[in-house]
Order: sequence, then C-alpha cells, then structure tokens
Amino acid sequence: MKILEYLSTLDRRIIYLVLAIVVILPLIFPSIQRVRVMDPVGKLFAAIDAIPDEQILMLDFDYDPQTQPELEPMAVALLRHAFNRRIKVAVLSLYVQPLGLAKKALDQVAEEFNSQAKIRADSIVYGQDYVFLGWQPPPIVPLLGMGISIAEVYPRDYYGLRTDSLPMMHKVRNFNDVGIIVCVSGGNAPIWWVAYSQTRFGVAVGAGITSVYASELYQYFQSGQFSGLMIGMKGAAEYEETVASSLRVSGRRKATEALGSLNAAHLTIIIFIIIGNISFVARRRK
Amino acid sequence: MKRTLPLILVFIFGIMGIVPYYIPHGGYQTLDNMVRNDFLRILSAFAIVLGLGSLMKVHIDKIKKHRENWPYSYVLIIGFVVSGFIGLFGGIEGNGMLPTSIASFKFDIETLYLNIIVPLGSTMFALLAFFMASASYRAFRVRSLESALLLSAAFIVMLGVIPLGDRISPHLPTFAQWIMDIPNVASKRGITFGIALGGLATSLKVILGIERSWLGGKE
Repeated sequence: MKILEYLSTLDRRIIYLVLAIVVILPLIFPSIQRVRVMDPVGKLFAAIDAIPDEQILMLDFDYDPQTQPELEPMAVALLRHAFNRRIKVAVLSLYVQPLGLAKKALDQVAEEFNSQAKIRADSIVYGQDYVFLGWQPPPIVPLLGMGISIAEVYPRDYYGLRTDSLPMMHKVRNFNDVGIIVCVSGGNAPIWWVAYSQTRFGVAVGAGITSVYASELYQYFQSGQFSGLMIGMKGAAEYEETVASSLRVSGRRKATEALGSLNAAHLTIIIFIIIGNISFVARRRK
Repeated sequence: MKRTLPLILVFIFGIMGIVPYYIPHGGYQTLDNMVRNDFLRILSAFAIVLGLGSLMKVHIDKIKKHRENWPYSYVLIIGFVVSGFIGLFGGIEGNGMLPTSIASFKFDIETLYLNIIVPLGSTMFALLAFFMASASYRAFRVRSLESALLLSAAFIVMLGVIPLGDRISPHLPTFAQWIMDIPNVASKRGITFGIALGGLATSLKVILGIERSWLGGKE
C-alpha cells in the first residue's frame, strides 16, 4: 500500500526524467524498426508515382521548427521520390517562417542525388528539374491565383530569378499542369488547398501532417478530397520505407530512426496512465 | 460616412469573393484575379507595416509603464531591430551590403534563422512531451464508462501508430485505423458541418452589414 501511496504523489520530475531517458536512449543506440505501410501513405505514394511527364509535383512545405522533427522526414522522402522518378517539382511555402527549412530540405536532397550522379544527365538541376518559388503573402493569393497563372503569382522565384525564364516553367502555366499538390504542414494549410484550390480548380491534393492534427484531417482523406495522407513520425517512416523498398533510394531515414523513441515514449505514457489509475482506484477503495 | 464606407466596401468585396465560384466567364475571372493578385497584396503589405508598428507601440508602452514582465519587451525590441537590420542589409544568404561574416558568424537571415529560431522553436515544442506525460499521469482517470471507453480508444490508437503495435498483433494498427476512419470521422464531420454553417451565417451577417462589431466602437 505504501507503494501505491508513493505513486499517487509521484514527483513530476521523476516522470520527466524517465521520459527523457526512454526518448534519448533509442536515439543514441538506434535500431531499425520495420513499419507496415498503411493505406493513406500507400495511396499518396501511388498518386505521386502516377504523375504524367507533362505535369509537375507541387510541394507546399509549411512546417516550422516546432514541427520539423515530425515533418521534415516527409519532405525529404517526397523529394527523394520525385527526383528518383524524374518528376519535376515546384516548392513553395504559404508562410515566411518555413522558407529556411524548405530550402534546407531541397538543398539536402539535391546534393544527395548530385553527389551520386555518374553522368551529367543523372544530376538534379535547378530550373530544369525543380524550382523554389518561395513565399507570396497573403496565402489566399497563391491558393487561388495559381489556378490562373503561376508566373503571375510568383513573377520571381526565391533566388530572384524570373519564373518564366526557368526552363521547367515554360510549359507549366497553372494548376492544369500540376499532377498533385502535397502540403506538409503542422497547421490548417492542407484544408485551405482543398477548400480553395481543389474546390475551384479541381487540382488533386495530398497532405503530410503532425499526429496531433490527424483526427482533424482524416475526414478529408475518407471523402477522397485528399488523394493520400502521411500522419506523424510513423507516416513519414512508412513513406521512407516505400521509397527505399520500391525505388532503392538510399539515404538517412530520420523518421525510421526515431521510431524506437516513439515506441518507448508511447509505451511509457501508457504505463504511467495505468499506474496512475491503479493508485487512483486503490485510494478510492481506501 | 466613417461607418458607411467600410460597410459598402465589405459588401462589394464580399460579394466579389463569392461570385467567381459561380460565374466562370473569362472577363470576371480576370477581374477577380486582378483584385486578388494586385489589391490584396498591397493591402497585406500595409497590414504587415501596421502590425509591426502596433507591436512596437505595445511593447514600448509596456516598458515605459513598467507593466508585468516588462523586461521581456526589451528582448522583443532588440530582436526585432537586430533581425530587421541584418535582414535589410545582410540579405537572405549574405548577399547584402554588410560584411559577409565576422569570425564564424555570418550576417544574414538564414544564419539567424537556422541558429536561433530553429533550436528555440524545437526546444519549446519538445517540452510539450514532458508536460503531456505528467498531465496524462495525473488527469487521465477512469471515473466512468465514458472515460473508460475514451482511455481504451486512446491506448489502441497510441499502440496502433507505433511499430510495436504491429508486433503485438497485426490487427492492432488496422483497428486503430478503423477508430480514426469511422468513429473519429463521424464526430469530426459533425463538428466541421456545425463550424462551416456557423461561419457561413457569420460571413453573410458581416457582408450584409447585420454584424458590425468588427467596426469597433458602439453600434
């Protein structure tokens, strides 16, 4: 009974310490966790894989430092998929804060491919294979404006180059030339793409979101408004797994590496809740 | 006139925002595009200036009157001035007029962003896990049948979204997916419909001038 009394008044610092240990240890000693690819991620992969040559993949990277660990692996896996399949990519952000992280992901994956390129044709070239459109406020301008003309909304790209001068953009005028827009975001942005761009122009939309936001956005996947969905760290790991196994793309898989921590943290919280309830029931009986 | 003109403008532009969904005529689409691409961008630029001005005014006022936590306002103002200066004169990637670097510190916004904003933001969000663990230990109690059901669903979803769940039973992730797909979507869709209808009613009230609290002052 003393143990139950002790547990009912457990110092929160002990909980913090236990959680810190179970999260940090699997990161120091990572083990590869195999994941089963679920339907939402499988459908997103298939939708991107089916983009025809004349259309591009549009990526809206709207994640900030707070959600970076969960969402950046999604961005990296999406770019690896597109570059491997030679799907042309246009990247943008609806907000200013994610711009730095979007550029970081683009630079990282372009460098990965270019460092492995044996001949010039294998290289990923800016302006030919991908463009970084940057940011145009307010969000409603790109959400609706790109349905008419992408170059009008983004006259210049992130680096200040004229958008219509980039070879990749010569044949890309508006949403008719976009196979799918995938929004990686920790907020409401995926809903906006559905509410504004898809409703008015019929463009396909997919999303990569944080776990805490999953319950909010599932309805859009079930109704078919999202062609596919990646949810949280596990969703990112599933996409990494699909890209690695289907396309034989190598490279660090940060979400897969973090799954050990995710396992341990979830299990620890479940155990804490069970212990809390046992002590609660014991106290009530007393 | 001070109140009538904004009401007229809101009515005109509110209707202009709805109509393009129903009139696909090229001329009207061009007008809609022009309003959005040109007018809206200019307006939002003014809004940024007004917002920043207002932010500075609030914090300078706070320092002058020594309101609660006033020393933190210095942090905000210094951060604003330094990042504004480096952003304007150092450029995004060190392509501005400032010297590109002193020792290992580069004078550009990307360096500030990657070395200050990113670690600070990540740290703040990471702390959430500890508070959640502590809060769930203290507050998640089975007091009734409803809370028992909620707790069971939470356990299934928590285990279903980690690889361990698949190892315990391959049915666990499928069941977790079913909870997200069916009961979760049913309740969320009901809430979404309610919010959408409420938003529609409020928007119509604003466009038609029935709801005027956004004008400020007395009715």
